[in-house]
Amino acid sequence: MPLILPLLLAVVLFCIGVYGVLARRNLITLLMSFELMLNAVNLNLVAFDAWHADGLATGQTLAVFVITLAAAEIGLGLAIVLLLFRGHGHVDADAARDLVES
Amino acid sequence: MIATAWRVVGVGFSLLVVLAAALLYGVDPQQTSSAGAMIGEDFWFAYEFRTDGLTVLMLAVVGVVSTCVQVYSIGYVRERIASYTAIVTLFTAAMVTVVISDNLFLLLIGWEVMGACSYLLIGHYWERRDARAGAMKAFLMTRLADIPFLFGIFVLGVGYHTFRISDLGSGPMEPHTLTAGTLLLLVGVVGKSAQVPLQTWLPDAMPGPSPVSALIHAATMVAAGVFLIARLYDLFVEAHTTLTVLAVVACVTMLFAASCAMAAVEVKRVLAWSTVSQLAIMFAGLSLGTHDGRHAALFHLMTHAAFKGLLFLCAGVLLHQVGSAAFVVLRRYTRRGALRKRMPVTFVTMTIGLAALAGVPGFAGFFSKDSVVEAAWETARDGSTVGWIVLVSVCVTASMTAFYCVRLWLWIFFRTPALAGAVGAFEDDDPMADLEEPDARKLHEGSWLMLAPMILLTVGAAGLGYTDGVHLNWAIALITTVLAILGALPAYSLWHRGADPRPALLEHEYGVDPAYQRLFVVPVRWLAKLVVGGDRDVIGAYVRAAGRTGVLASAGFRKLQTGNVQTYLTAAVVGVVALAILAGVIGS
Amino acid sequence: MTTALFSIAGAVAVVAAVFVVTSRRIVHAALWLVVALGGVAGCFGALHAEFVALVQILVYVGAIVVLVLFALMLTKAPTNPLPNVTTGRSPFAAVVAAVLALILGAGVVLAFGNEKIRPVTAGSAQAVGTQVFKTWVLPFEVLSVLLLAALIGAIALSQRPSQTLPSQKLSEGSDTVSSSGKED
Repeated sequence: MPLILPLLLAVVLFCIGVYGVLARRNLITLLMSFELMLNAVNLNLVAFDAWHADGLATGQTLAVFVITLAAAEIGLGLAIVLLLFRGHGHVDADAARDLVES
Repeated sequence: MIATAWRVVGVGFSLLVVLAAALLYGVDPQQTSSAGAMIGEDFWFAYEFRTDGLTVLMLAVVGVVSTCVQVYSIGYVRERIASYTAIVTLFTAAMVTVVISDNLFLLLIGWEVMGACSYLLIGHYWERRDARAGAMKAFLMTRLADIPFLFGIFVLGVGYHTFRISDLGSGPMEPHTLTAGTLLLLVGVVGKSAQVPLQTWLPDAMPGPSPVSALIHAATMVAAGVFLIARLYDLFVEAHTTLTVLAVVACVTMLFAASCAMAAVEVKRVLAWSTVSQLAIMFAGLSLGTHDGRHAALFHLMTHAAFKGLLFLCAGVLLHQVGSAAFVVLRRYTRRGALRKRMPVTFVTMTIGLAALAGVPGFAGFFSKDSVVEAAWETARDGSTVGWIVLVSVCVTASMTAFYCVRLWLWIFFRTPALAGAVGAFEDDDPMADLEEPDARKLHEGSWLMLAPMILLTVGAAGLGYTDGVHLNWAIALITTVLAILGALPAYSLWHRGADPRPALLEHEYGVDPAYQRLFVVPVRWLAKLVVGGDRDVIGAYVRAAGRTGVLASAGFRKLQTGNVQTYLTAAVVGVVALAILAGVIGS
Repeated sequence: MTTALFSIAGAVAVVAAVFVVTSRRIVHAALWLVVALGGVAGCFGALHAEFVALVQILVYVGAIVVLVLFALMLTKAPTNPLPNVTTGRSPFAAVVAAVLALILGAGVVLAFGNEKIRPVTAGSAQAVGTQVFKTWVLPFEVLSVLLLAALIGAIALSQRPSQTLPSQKLSEGSDTVSSSGKED
């Protein structure tokens, strides 16, 4: 199997995730897009592991670690989103403008 | 308590100066120098002092006059005693510094401290507008003159490679440099001693307390100019141009000031103009360039210190007891013959002071003035034009001096016989003359603290003339006496008729002040407005523009601060992409 | 064989991902995410990384997506299609993403265009397990500390600040704390 195949798939997934992060309004879909990007990274790790095959299973282990990190990240992210919802009554990224210079 | 302490310090310091003069009398000239430092690479600056005959003479004059003034002030000054006494003491100390210093910069320090002290003392009654204005005027005019003075010090010091006064004059010197340096110094002297054209500050300094006037006029401030030329006499003698300029300035000043004194209607103003005139006589003696001239000038300085100090103290008593020294006010009392009867000591001492000023034979002023005339005559006899000019000017001034002395004396102390009880010349000016009956019984002599210094100075005014050894040139004595009588007679006859004609030109003091106002004050104010406007509208515009640019730029930049995290993130990603492209472009 | 399998799973993942970021219904987007993540898990399997694939399905599909669905429910996300799910910047965002894809794609093609992955016969689950507890045990423990910190952080964030703030109108949220902590 050519290595380029999983790499290109990862690029496509990653850029779809970037688009989602930059364009979606709902903060929860933003988080979903993050997950897509993280998955692209995982795909890279696993593909390079299969290609490199060093016997230490480095890429796979790291992929598992990243999945764990993603779980932690989504837990915190959703907590923040819920906090925002509690305070403002919405989860709209466009409307959450407390940082604005007024 | 503080006031008493300061008075003790003040009187004690003055007595110390007198003591120093007494101890140094007859001692050989000495020079000392204490720790110093290099200025640049060539000049050694140190605290250098010297004592010689001139120092002793000046110390004696300063010490005696300031002792008298300090004692007199105890009875005279009623408010802000501590600061007043302290400044008078500092004033005296500054003059002592000038007198004993052997270094031009040290001398300059004393010179400038005197300027500051005179400013503070003239403005002692700062509640009064005229006192404030007079103090400011004195400060500005002397300061104006001090700038050339400073440059004169530079020229002489650099020319001779030393700032030590004893070493000046040794070594070769380019004549033009010498002339330039002495001329620059002369400007400072003219300002300090109130000679033409910087004469107007001295009469305007009269709102200050009378003892201060006595100190300024007799011993410290204005005498410093005479002292300086006497100290650097060797240099001035070498610079003929400077001496000629000095002679012209002195002659113009003495006639100008004497004529102004003839028309002044306030005792202190008459005395102020007379000081200017007498100082000019001293400068005239110095300008002769001979040893006799210098000797005569210093002799006159000494006698003048005695009788002018005395006269100002007497005027102070009049001010203190009557409340004013204007002829008009004094005449109200005089019409009833009150002044003489109620204040006999003041009357007698003032009479002697005026006699000394007018040059009545036997009194101090007579001898010293005659010695100036004699020195001028000796120079003139050798065919010197300067000598002749000085001689004629001094003689005319002697006559005018007699005129204003007699006028002052008669009008303030004597009832006009022709108009006894009726309205006289000065009553015409006084709208209150008949409405307000002054209570002559309230009038009384000043306290003994004030009278004692006056009596001491009276002794000086009467007897100082004999200290120099009486060596009269009888012909000159006769001529000056006749001239004095010629001046006194018109004054007597005018008074006898109850008339006091005052030409408008003299009464306005030749319109110098308005002219200065138009020539200098108004343009300077205009310039100041221009500068303020320039600062506000030109420089300030840049400052404000800078501020406004910042505000506008920040208003633009804050538009970028949308508060939307996605915008920020988009910018970050775009930046990353741009950097990646850039790296690719550079790397390839 | 594996290449074909990988291609199919990858195509499914890409299509599902596109739906995730474009779907007008947010709940549908979450469900499409399940498909996308499953596709990626298939890819992992095709690359002979069974353990990662299983963890992916367990954690992602089983926990994270459930969590997301909970969050959607708690934030009262509408189930009907929304008129504007994207911001006004979405065309620009698409351009940026496309350029990024171009750059990255060009980069990987230039760097790894001719590389091949050698086929393997056996699975790698045992090797991964051995290595995790042998070579990578220290990062593993550090990661567990990190998870603990995230847990505490989530609790602290979800905790209702004291009653002094009047803006708290909604009573939900405390359930999420426990669920967010429980899932790993």
